[in-house]
Amino acid sequence: MDSDTPVISAENVWKLFGPSPEAYLSRMPAGRSFEEIRSDGYIAGVKDVSLEVAKGEMLVIMGLSGSGKSTLVRCFSRLHDITGGAVRIDGQDIMSLNATELIELRRSKMGMVFQSFGLLPHRTVLENVAFPLEMRGQDRHARRERALEMVRLVGLEGREDYFPRELSGGQQQRVGIARSLAIEPNIWFLDEPFSALDPLIRREMQDEFLRLQDMLGKTIVFITHDFDEALRLADRIAIMKDGAVEQVDTPDKIVLDPATEYVAKFTEEVDKASVVHASVLASDGVPVDGEPVPGDATILSLARRLVEDRSDAIPVSLPDGRTGAMDRKAALAVLFGERE
Amino acid sequence: MKKLSAMVLATALATPVVATAADSEDPIIIPIHNWSSQIVMSHVVGQMYEEMGLNVEFVTTDSQAVYESVRLGDVALELEVWEGAFGHSFREALSKGGLHDAGDHDAVTREDWWYPMWTKDACPGLPNWQALNDCAEIFATAESGGKGRYLDGPVDWLKHGKERVEALGMNFVVVNAGSAAALWAEIGAAEPDMRPVVVFNWTPNFAEAVWPGEFVEFPTWEDGCDSDPAKGPNPDALYDCGNPADGYLKKAAWDGMPDKWPSAYCVLTKLSFTNPQIAEMAKFVDIDELEPEEAADEWLAANRDIVDPWIGSCT
Amino acid sequence: MSDSTYVGATRQGAEAASVGAIRTRTVVLTLFGAAILLAVLKPWIPSALVRLPEGAILPWADWLDAGFSWLQNDIGLIHVTRTISGWLGFLTDAAANVLYGKARWPRLEALPWSVVAACSAVLGYWLGGWRLALLAGGTFVWTALMGQWRWAMETLSVIAVAVPFGFGIGLLLGMLAWKSRRFEEALRPVLLVLQTLPFYSYLLPAVIFFKVGPTAASVATIVYSMPPMILMTIVGLRKVPPDVVEAGRMSGCTRWQMLRHVFLPSARNEILVGLNQVIMLALAMVVLTAFIGMPGLGAKLLAMMNSFKLGRSFEIGVTIVLLAVTLDRLSKAWVVKQPEHFERGTPWWQRHAFLLLGIATFVLFYLLSQFLPILDEVGRRQSLSRGSEIDAIIKGALGISWVKATTEFIRWFFNIWVLIPTELALLFLPTFTVILAMTGIGYLLGGWFPALIGFLFFAAVAQLGWWDRAMLTLHSTLTAVLLAMLFGMPLAIWAARRARASRWMIFACDTAQTFPSFIYLLPAIMLFGITPITVILAILIYTMVPVVRYTVEGLRGVPREITEAADMAGATRWQKLWKVEFPLAMPTIAVGLNQAFIFAFFMVIIAAFIGTRDLGQEMQRTLAGTDLGKNFTLGFSVVFMALSLDIAINSWARKRREILGQ
Ligand SMILES: Nc1ncnc2c1ncn2[C@@H]1O[C@H](COP(=O)(O)OP(=O)(O)OP(=O)(O)O)[C@@H](O)[C@H]1O
Ligand SMILES: [Mg+2]
Repeated sequence: MDSDTPVISAENVWKLFGPSPEAYLSRMPAGRSFEEIRSDGYIAGVKDVSLEVAKGEMLVIMGLSGSGKSTLVRCFSRLHDITGGAVRIDGQDIMSLNATELIELRRSKMGMVFQSFGLLPHRTVLENVAFPLEMRGQDRHARRERALEMVRLVGLEGREDYFPRELSGGQQQRVGIARSLAIEPNIWFLDEPFSALDPLIRREMQDEFLRLQDMLGKTIVFITHDFDEALRLADRIAIMKDGAVEQVDTPDKIVLDPATEYVAKFTEEVDKASVVHASVLASDGVPVDGEPVPGDATILSLARRLVEDRSDAIPVSLPDGRTGAMDRKAALAVLFGERE
Repeated sequence: MKKLSAMVLATALATPVVATAADSEDPIIIPIHNWSSQIVMSHVVGQMYEEMGLNVEFVTTDSQAVYESVRLGDVALELEVWEGAFGHSFREALSKGGLHDAGDHDAVTREDWWYPMWTKDACPGLPNWQALNDCAEIFATAESGGKGRYLDGPVDWLKHGKERVEALGMNFVVVNAGSAAALWAEIGAAEPDMRPVVVFNWTPNFAEAVWPGEFVEFPTWEDGCDSDPAKGPNPDALYDCGNPADGYLKKAAWDGMPDKWPSAYCVLTKLSFTNPQIAEMAKFVDIDELEPEEAADEWLAANRDIVDPWIGSCT
Repeated sequence: MSDSTYVGATRQGAEAASVGAIRTRTVVLTLFGAAILLAVLKPWIPSALVRLPEGAILPWADWLDAGFSWLQNDIGLIHVTRTISGWLGFLTDAAANVLYGKARWPRLEALPWSVVAACSAVLGYWLGGWRLALLAGGTFVWTALMGQWRWAMETLSVIAVAVPFGFGIGLLLGMLAWKSRRFEEALRPVLLVLQTLPFYSYLLPAVIFFKVGPTAASVATIVYSMPPMILMTIVGLRKVPPDVVEAGRMSGCTRWQMLRHVFLPSARNEILVGLNQVIMLALAMVVLTAFIGMPGLGAKLLAMMNSFKLGRSFEIGVTIVLLAVTLDRLSKAWVVKQPEHFERGTPWWQRHAFLLLGIATFVLFYLLSQFLPILDEVGRRQSLSRGSEIDAIIKGALGISWVKATTEFIRWFFNIWVLIPTELALLFLPTFTVILAMTGIGYLLGGWFPALIGFLFFAAVAQLGWWDRAMLTLHSTLTAVLLAMLFGMPLAIWAARRARASRWMIFACDTAQTFPSFIYLLPAIMLFGITPITVILAILIYTMVPVVRYTVEGLRGVPREITEAADMAGATRWQKLWKVEFPLAMPTIAVGLNQAFIFAFFMVIIAAFIGTRDLGQEMQRTLAGTDLGKNFTLGFSVVFMALSLDIAINSWARKRREILGQ
C-alpha cells in the first residue's frame, strides 16, 4: 500500500433504513430529496456521501442531531452494511470482507468510542478495557498490563475494579475511550467522545488527545456538536445535513467560505478572527515590505498589527518558506466580523 | 424350570467368572402407592430381600399406571393387586404381555357399599339392602333431590354403583368420589354429628380401625352377574348382585423377574399374607404413627416364624 | 390550512373507527343472534346441530393409539427416550447420594441435616442479609425437626436435577427462538399446548417412555417448568442495548464470543428471573409427579391424605411452601445481587470471606454432628410433628355448629341456585350454539383470527366426541374465573391503593400458589361435601391468584402523572378508578385473566380427585387399562378450549396495548 492511498475512502455511500432498502435504492430516481425518500417510507441515514480521509488526518463530522453522523461512522466500520456505494479501508472494499476478515480488521486496526458508551455492565473497568484484547486471545498477563496502562492514561487509576454502574457518566466515557485505545488501532472512530465530560477534564482530554495524535499519528474520525472542539482538533471538518455531507473543508475555509446557507448558519456564532489563519488570506508570490507575520497566526492574534499597519498588504511567511501577501482590508473584515 | 436351567447354563458359559446362578446385583425395584398396607407390605418384602443380600429400591407410582411399568420391567413386581380396583388394569396388562400372575395372598378382599356404625342407629334394618333402600331419604343431601346419596369409589376403580342402583330399582343417586382420600373426608365430615352416610369401602384397610362399620348385604354374588343378565334377582339387568365377598388379592411379577432374580422371585411366589396380618401392617402406620420402614421392622421382628420358611425354601 | 387538514384527518379517523365498530357489532350480533336462535328453536332443528351424531365422530382414539404404538415400537422412540432416562437416572442417583445417601454408586454418606441448614443460612446471609439467613436456615431446621428431612431431600434430589435441565434447555430454546423468528413462531404453539395439556395426559407417556421413578418425574418437571424460562430468555436477549452489541462487535467478537461475553451476561437479570420461575414451577409439581415416581414430600403427602391424616399432610404442605419461598427468595436475591468490587490490596481471605465462612460452617457442623447424633438425624420419635393435635383442631373446627350452618348454607345456595342450574343450561345448549357463541366472543375480543380459532377449536372439541363432559369442564372454569373476578378484583382494588397491603397481597398470592393443591381438597370436601361447589372452590384458590396479582400490578403501574392529572381535573375516586386507572390497567389485568383461565383448566382436571363428572373424571378412568388414545382425545379437548380462550384474550390485550401505546 503506498502512502497516498487514503485510509478511509467513501464513494457514493448510501444507507437507507426501511423495509427493503436495496430494492428501493436501485429503482429510485436520481436526485430524490430526503423528504421525498421519507415519504416513500425510507429514512436516508447516509445519502450519497463521498469523502476521503488521509493517513494521520483528523476528520471532524458535525451536524444537527439526527443528521446521520453516527450512521456514517457505522458505515465506515461496517457496523451497518451500506445500501449503495463503496467504503474502502486502506484500499480494501470492506463490504467484500467475510466475517472472519472483518473480525480480524476490527481486532487489529479499528477502535471506536460510542456515543452512549456501550460498556458491558457485568465487567469491571479493567475487564471492560481489556475486553478487545481478550477477544483476540491475548494472554491474561499482557492484557492486564496493557489495560492498566490505558486506565491510567484516561485518569481512572484506583477505579480498575469498579463496575460501570458505579461510575459517573464522564468516567464511563473515559472507560470507553480507554477500551478503544487498548488494541492500538490505526483508525479511530470517536462518536462524541467528550460529550459527558466537564469542561476541565474535557480540555485536558483534548490536550491529551492532540498529544497522542502527534505521537502516534492515527487516522481519526471524530464526531462532535461543539464547534470550538472541532476547531481545536480538526484537520478538516465535514458538515452533514439530512444524511448528506454539505461541505468538507479545512476549518478556515468552512468559516470563510461556507458552501451553503446551512453551513453558514452553523458557523454564524463562531468568532472567525480566532479561527482564520493568516496564511489562508495570503495570496502567493507578491513581494511586500515589512516584517512577515507567521502563517499559522490567527487573525485575532494579529489584531494590533492589522489596525496599526497602514499598508494595503501585510507579508505572511507561508509554511513552504515563501512569503505571501495578506489583504489587510479582508483581514480587518474578518476581525470585525463583517460579511463580504 | 427347564428355561431357568438353560439360562443358568448360558450365563455360566458366557461369563465364567460367575460360578453360580446368583440373583442379579441390580436393585429390585418395588413400587409403592399411597395407602399404608401396601407401603408397609412392600417394605416388609424389601427387607426380606435385603436379608437375602439383594439390592432393593422403592419407587412411588400411581396404582393404575403401575401395571404398564411392571410390563416394561421398570418395576419388578406388584404386591397388592386388588381384584375390584385394579383387576381391570391388571388384565389389560396381562393381555398385552410382559407381566404375569405370581399367585394370590391368603387374604380375601371385599369392596362394596359400606356404612359407619352410627348409621345403623338411624336405619335399624341394616345391613340388608332393602332396609337401606327404605331409609333412602335419611341419606339425602341438598343436591340429591330427595333421593338417598351413595358415594361410590373413583371411576378408575370401575365400580358399578349406578348400574346396581338401576338394576335393583333403588331410590339412590350415585356420586363418584375422585380418590380414596375424598371418601375418608366424607366419612370424617359426617362423624362429629353422626350423620348417616353410605359410601364405597373395602377391606382390609385402615378405616376399619378408625370407624367401625359394616358392608351392606346385597343379593349374593353369583359368577356371571356382571356378564349374564339372567343371574341375580333382576332377570333383565347386569350388576344386580353385591360384589364377591372374597375377591382375590394377587401378586404380579414382571416376566423377566424369574430369570434375573430367581431366588427373589421364588420368595415372591411363596409369600402370602392374611387379612389380620395386612390389617396389622396398616395399623402400625395409621394408628401408631410409625414410619413404614419402622413398621416393617416391627412386623418382621414379631413374625419371623412366618417369613423365615419363605426365605429358607428359596436360598 | 394545517388546522383544517388536521380536523379532516381526525374526522376521517373517527369515521373509519366507527365504521369498524359498526362492522364488529354487526358480525357479533349476527353470530350471537344465530346462536340464540338455534337454542330457542332446539326442538325443531336437525339433531346434528344439537349434538354431533355418533357416526360423525371419527375414531380419534384408535388412530392415536396406533400412532403411539408406531412411535413406541416401530420407530423405536422408546429406545431413544430410555437412553436419555438412563443418563437422567445417573444424575438423580448422584444427587440422591449426596442428599440422603441412596444406596447406589458411589454410595456417599448423606449430609447431616445441620450441615445443610447451617450452610444455607450462610448462603442466605451472603445473598440477602440476616433475614434471608433466618429464612433459609429456619426452613431446613423446621424440616428436620418435623421429621421430614429424608422426604425433603428425596424431593430435592430430583429438583436438583430437573431445575438445571429446565434452565439449560429453556435457555437453549430461548436463544434459538431469539435467533430465528421462524423457530419462535413454531415454538410458541407447542409451548402453549404443553402448558394446557392436562396433567393426566403426561402420566402414561412419561411412565412408558421415561421409566417410572425419579427419571419420569424429572422429565415431567422439566417439561412443565421450562416455558417461562424460554420466554424470559427471549425477552432478555431482545433487551440488550444496541450500543453494547456494537461495542462487542467493534471489539472483534466472533459470534460465539458475542453470545458468551456480550448477550448472555447482559441479559443476566431476565435469565435469572426465568430460573426463579423454573424453581417455583418445579416445586409446584412435587405432589402431582408423585404419581409417576417422584419420591419424597409429595408421595408422603398423598399417603397421609389417603389415611386421612390431615395434620401431618398440612405440615408437609408447610414444608413445601417454606422450601419454595426459600428458594424463591434466594434466587431473587441472587438476581438483585450485583457483583461488588474490593479495594485494591484487600487480602484474599477478606475477598472470599463468605466462601471461607461457608467451608468453616460445613466442617464445624459436620464434626459436631459426629458427636451429637441429633444434629445428624432427627428420628420420627424425636420429631416435633404435631399431626394428631392438628387433626383434632381441624376436626373440631369443622364440627362447630355455626361453621357447619354457614357451610351448609353456602353449599345449598351455590349448588342449588347457581351451579346446578347453569350447568344444566350449558348442557341444554345445542353444540352449534356454543360454537357460534365462541366464534362471536373471539371476534369481539380480537377480530377474525381469534374468531376463526374459536370456531375451529370448538368444532374440534365436538368432533373429539366428549362434548357434554367438555361443557362441564368449561362450566367449572368459567364459574371459577368469574367468581375470582367477583371476589378478587375488589380485594385487589383495595390493596392497590396501599403499598404495604399490596406487598402482603402479592406474598399471600405466592404462598397460596405454592401450597400443594391437594391439601385444600380434604378440608374443602369436609366443609362442602363432594359437590360442584367444592370443585369450584378448589379451582377458585388458583384463579384468584393471577386475578389479584395482575390487578394489583396493573393498577399500581398506572403512571403517577396520569392519576395526578385526573385529580387536578376534579375526578372523584370512583371516576378516577373507572375512567382512568382501569382502562390503563386493563391490558395487564387481561394477562391475569388469561392466566386464571390456564390455571383453571389445569386445576379443574386435578379436581377430579374430589369427584367430578367432566373430562377429568373420564381421564382418570383411562388410567385403568392405560387407554392412551382416549386419554389424549380428552386431553386435547381441554387444550382446544384453553387455547381458543387464550388466543382471544391475548389478542384483545395486545390491541389495547397498541391503542394505549404501551
Ligand atoms: N437502526 C436504525 N433504523 C432506522 N433508522 C435509523 C437507525 N439508526 C439511525 N436511524 C435514523 O437515521 C438518522 C440518523 O441517525 P444518527 O444516529 O446517525 O444521527 P446523529 O447525527 O448521530 O444524531 P445525534 O447527534 O443525535 O447522535 C435518524 O433519523 C435516525 O432516526
Ligand atoms: Mg449520533
